[in-house]
Amino acid sequence: MGGKFLKISIESCRGNLVDWISQMKKRIKELISDLQDFYLLSFHGMMGVVRRPFYFKDLIEQMDYAGSGSLLIIVLISLFLGMALSLQLSAELSLLGLKMYTGKVVGISIIREIGPVLTAVVFAGRVGSGIASELGSMVLGHQVDTLRVFGVDPVKKLVTPRIWSAFLMLPVLTIIGDCVSLFGAYYIAVFVSHQSGTFYWSSIREVLVYENVLAGSIKPFIFGVLIACISCHMGLSTKGGAVGLRKTTTKAVVISFIAIIVADFVLTRILLYALGFSL
Amino acid sequence: MIEFDQVFFSYGQRSILNGLSFAIDESERVAILGGSGDGKTTILKLIIGLLRPDSGKILIDGEDIAEKTEVELRDIRIRFSMVFQDGALFDSLNVKENVAFPLREYTEMTEEEIDHKVRELLRRVGLEQAIGQMPEELSGGMHRRVAIMRAMAAFEPKMFLYDEATTGLDPVSADVICKLILDLSRQGSGFIIVTHKMFDAFRLANRFMFLKGGRIAFDGDREALFRSTLPEIGIFLGELNAQREG
Repeated sequence: MGGKFLKISIESCRGNLVDWISQMKKRIKELISDLQDFYLLSFHGMMGVVRRPFYFKDLIEQMDYAGSGSLLIIVLISLFLGMALSLQLSAELSLLGLKMYTGKVVGISIIREIGPVLTAVVFAGRVGSGIASELGSMVLGHQVDTLRVFGVDPVKKLVTPRIWSAFLMLPVLTIIGDCVSLFGAYYIAVFVSHQSGTFYWSSIREVLVYENVLAGSIKPFIFGVLIACISCHMGLSTKGGAVGLRKTTTKAVVISFIAIIVADFVLTRILLYALGFSL
Repeated sequence: MIEFDQVFFSYGQRSILNGLSFAIDESERVAILGGSGDGKTTILKLIIGLLRPDSGKILIDGEDIAEKTEVELRDIRIRFSMVFQDGALFDSLNVKENVAFPLREYTEMTEEEIDHKVRELLRRVGLEQAIGQMPEELSGGMHRRVAIMRAMAAFEPKMFLYDEATTGLDPVSADVICKLILDLSRQGSGFIIVTHKMFDAFRLANRFMFLKGGRIAFDGDREALFRSTLPEIGIFLGELNAQREG
């Protein structure tokens, strides 16, 4: 009797294991095919700029949406980030008697790391989600099929302008965001923490060396391309009505966030090595 | 000539077409009937290469389009004009820009010429006053009239493909769309219409195909359709009779 039960339970376990393995196989296949689609879309999207026809009007529209549309939120967030960072550092450094280094630490943090990452995260939340939902609703509403029926390449018409607008606008927004953060930090350092304004700006000037500026300015270009490619890919692979649209928009933002953080780590490691910083 | 030869198609695990074969001449007026999910819209998408078959041949004027690239398919696609179920107007463009879209893509017309052409097309369907409106401001019937005019703005298609052109419309709007479709077909372009609405199919088409289980269960004219013993066709005809009596 007991042996029979044991046999049944072993067979049921084996059956579950086989199901699990076949499901895993299917998921891995889907993941590989999804990655392949992503790389192809990104490559054709980027290369679309060197092949006719050129959609300059669409590029300008997308630059306006991604750039001027995101400016206010970037300025606002960067201002308060700079102020908060300056407050925290002033408090901690004054305990050590090193308050005068606030400008230097704030400068390095913002220019090299926090500025590019924060701007990219805000950009992914606003522009990335917008791209994914817009393209997703175009897919569901057969507008992308209509483009193909008219013989228009949807990648060139929809993806290329979005990738290049993100590539061009995110660095601009990052520079503006960095400047605003430094001014916010200045306000706190001088008017709240009672430090010397002249010393603050001279510390910032010391920080604005070639290595730091290069480290901070390469990242936004890469982040911009990543956000646009991920969002376009997610948007164009939308299926399943309103629920599908919600899922792809969420996925676009979440994957963009993860990609930004991972890319930031990889780029920081490469740049530190390339610029000769020792750890 | 459109020829399907043993075409199989599936969405993932779900089989849609199972060895579908038929031939349609581009001057014919064909209605494809069948239940929801039976693959009616899939057939239209296969004809213009928006979907690719799992196996089988799809010949357009003798050319097999199954293996053609997107660039090669463009020449095939401009022979047809497809009007999607909801019109599929670009919702970021107003009515004028929607109709002007293919003109801007394919012609060297000046702004003045485009404006003139768009107004002429919209006047034809009684929508000149809606030229500046956005798609969300239009009714379902207006949507489809604009979509039909956009479909024929730049090219003279050999054949129109209508996906549920009158579904979801009130009888008056559906009547306007049917008249427009007939009007266009009198100018020499044939059409394939996919529909659930027998009343509209009877008004428009002279050849009827009924899909069942991914194959053609019936293919014939009006008289043959009435003589058919297929139970599903009986249900569709019952609806037609009820509508006529009503």
